[in-house]
Amino acid sequence: MKNLCRHAVEAAKHKGATYADARIVRLRNQLVAAEDKRIEEIRDTESFGVGVRVIADGAWGFAATARVEPGEIERIAARAVEIAHASALAKAPDGIHWAAEPVHDGVFRTPVEKDPFEVSLEDKTGLLLAIGEEVLAVKGVKKYHGHIYFRREHRFLATSEGTLVESETTHGLATYEATAVDDSTAKTRYFEAPGRSAGWEHIERTPLLAEARRVGEDAVAHLKAKPTPVGKKDLILTPSHLALTMHESIGHATELDRVLGMEESLAGSSFATIDKLGALKYGSPLMNIVCDNTMPFGLASRGWDDDGVAGQRWHVVKDGILVDYMSGREVCHAIGAERSHGSCRADSWASIPIIRQSNIGLEPGTEPLTLDELISDTKDGILIDGWGSFSIDQRRENFQFGGDCFWEIKNGKKGAMLKDVTYQAITTDFWGSLDAVCDKRFWDPVGIFGCGKGDPMQIAIMTHGSAPARFRQIDVGGATK
Amino acid sequence: MNESQAQSILQKILDASNAEAVVATLNGGMSATTRLADNLITQNFESSRAVLTVSCAYGQSHGTASTEDLGDESIKAVVEAAQAIAKSMPPDPEYMPPVEAGETAKYAKVDGYFDQTAGFGPQEKGAQLAVAAKSVAGKGYRLSGAYTSGDEFLAIANSAGLKAYHRSTQGEVHLTAIGNNGSGWAEKISENTDEIDVAAVADEALRIAELAQDPADLDAGKYTLIMQPAAVSELLMFFIWMGFDAKAADEGHNFLRGKLGQKIAPETITIRSDPAEPNCLGEPFQRDGLASRTISWVDEGALANMIYSRFWAKKQAKAPTGHPANIIMDGGTATLDEMVASTERGLLVTHFWYIRTVDPMRPLLTGMTRDGLFLIESGRIVGAVKHMRFNENPLDMLGRVEAMGPPQRTGEWMPMLVPALKVRDFNFTSTTKF
Repeated sequence: MKNLCRHAVEAAKHKGATYADARIVRLRNQLVAAEDKRIEEIRDTESFGVGVRVIADGAWGFAATARVEPGEIERIAARAVEIAHASALAKAPDGIHWAAEPVHDGVFRTPVEKDPFEVSLEDKTGLLLAIGEEVLAVKGVKKYHGHIYFRREHRFLATSEGTLVESETTHGLATYEATAVDDSTAKTRYFEAPGRSAGWEHIERTPLLAEARRVGEDAVAHLKAKPTPVGKKDLILTPSHLALTMHESIGHATELDRVLGMEESLAGSSFATIDKLGALKYGSPLMNIVCDNTMPFGLASRGWDDDGVAGQRWHVVKDGILVDYMSGREVCHAIGAERSHGSCRADSWASIPIIRQSNIGLEPGTEPLTLDELISDTKDGILIDGWGSFSIDQRRENFQFGGDCFWEIKNGKKGAMLKDVTYQAITTDFWGSLDAVCDKRFWDPVGIFGCGKGDPMQIAIMTHGSAPARFRQIDVGGATK
Repeated sequence: MNESQAQSILQKILDASNAEAVVATLNGGMSATTRLADNLITQNFESSRAVLTVSCAYGQSHGTASTEDLGDESIKAVVEAAQAIAKSMPPDPEYMPPVEAGETAKYAKVDGYFDQTAGFGPQEKGAQLAVAAKSVAGKGYRLSGAYTSGDEFLAIANSAGLKAYHRSTQGEVHLTAIGNNGSGWAEKISENTDEIDVAAVADEALRIAELAQDPADLDAGKYTLIMQPAAVSELLMFFIWMGFDAKAADEGHNFLRGKLGQKIAPETITIRSDPAEPNCLGEPFQRDGLASRTISWVDEGALANMIYSRFWAKKQAKAPTGHPANIIMDGGTATLDEMVASTERGLLVTHFWYIRTVDPMRPLLTGMTRDGLFLIESGRIVGAVKHMRFNENPLDMLGRVEAMGPPQRTGEWMPMLVPALKVRDFNFTSTTKF
């Protein structure tokens, strides 16, 4: 494979490319899905192909094929150069700024204790069916869905600068949902082993079966829960919920290509423009947002990005101030950076690399603080767990989030379950109201599968970690007005 | 890939498998996109792929495997993988045997393949976009967008003797014109790239952008809202997706439970599918070989049909519908100008962004306006206003439609032919900063 990658790069250079890279990617996915007391589907898919990206005539071209053989590779290398010449019809007068990166040669592999693809299908179907039995045994639960998903991506990347790297990443999750139904409505509750770079051991260490009865009971309780209050409340958000809030209001907003307007036509742009770098008060001084493509379990940890840049760790928000972005080699010059942070990824061999969110999370509080202590310190609030509805404007300012489960907090006590809770805020107001973050004992990485960006849309994966955190006086319940 | 090449590969699957039932599909094609940002071509890519998917069954146990390697060794391996999965799977009480060969007689005649689209190259595409960008730049605006074209094929063969093949072409351009303080957007979708006038799309995006500059503050609240067809399609897609699954309704967990056959909207509302609709072609058959249906979902306000899988149809003694090949909402004759002229106070929106379900049972959707929100007073547009978030019940909204335009081709995720709508009391709940 390495020789074929080199061959693609040489073929592109021969056709006139001033820069070229080639990625050969084999992606294997396995999905086991259960519905009620049956296994609904087992699907094993494999994708294999090569993509060649070039700069020629000062412009970009990319072509890809599923036929990974020398003659076809030469054809797509030549085609990529042809396409670059078409791009030159509307190119920047000063061409493409391609930031320097040391030459890399190495192999990255996700540490895996138990290969998920070697675990028997009977073990996987057995687990899902056992969970289903427990969930459906709860009176009032009428529906159960569960699935286990693993993916393994084996990638070879060569660049015309001499980088030649290999990565083999393994990612997986298990998740299930109970739905309770009564005469007036239906409500749900989910539980999961969230997406991680890991093997089957991640599934075994998560109490999926042990929690099943409680999850079913929560779904039934959700039916009878108190309606959402309307007005300003203090919110305590758990890591499983905060992951998506960070993803939408910080992660996407600090992708440098979006900030520069390169995704304006579909995914949108960002309010966090480069003229505000170093000055924008993104949130309270407790807000420290760190990107880390080297972190264990991180879905974006893969050694090198698809620009051939080594994984790094850096702040995008420090003590509440916007200090940096997620960047790629093409755009980092716009903020005066000489080196990319390595955030470019493609979702397959057939896709062009674009800036995708790194593993990005909220640093834990530095003072000892438990979730119980945080609740005890809250007079009138709501505790929100898990993902629900989510929507944000294209500049990442006005957002509205729901959740999976909600409880009122009155005078320091976790009280009755609530339903239909949503909260709405402007991003900087929301993060400005952050006044407490639990300590590192409670910091939890939560993987996101299914982040859409690009045009046509590509799907990426990444991890967002946090500890439970409190936000003061946020507008709640506006959706139901 | 032509029909003969595709069926030759699928026959190898049928020959190689010892399963009691086999369904093999091969789908793929070529897709090419040129992306524009700030008047420059920033990305330009092309890929070809074909995915071979094999489903095998022994009794009621079934398994599926797929590959993109179409070599003989890979074909053998993917059959063995699907068979091994099937043998590991507990019997599935909802398993359905392959669709019978006679189903092909029900396929609509759909001819949506244009050689000029399949051969539409990056030079011609780039040249059209470059001219449009230069024109927009000359007016002091920036043009961003994407032009995607290509071809697709879907071939199927199963152990019940069904064989089918369909191919089509697609062209789609959407452009955003961006000024210092406001943007406009327009699109054109056609199977035939000769029908796509990039300059006209850019002009429309620019026209909206010029109107959209320097939006004023306006309080959120209930407004009469005129939605362009793209905005209607985005709401309608979520409406169908949330509510029309018959199994979920019969089990009590979607908002149309118990409503089949009942009136759910005024008589002016008809929503249907027709794969042969010339202005909005759909695929004539589905991945399992079932014919795509010409069917009404909402017929003059009555919930006429829901989406029935083959299993659920059999259980409930209904006809299977499969999934909609396209969504068509019958319209009216009102022009956009007439809708504006008849509005005392209201808003006009270009399209929506980030629509999501808030409550699937009520039902309730949220989302943002995008690329042009305009205030109408005394029958004319008086200026742009800052974008707003809505929280709206799409079923209830159908009862508040006051005027409809002629249907237009749109649809980000599936072919849709829908009209502009004028709706009273559309519920905006908050505003944003631009």
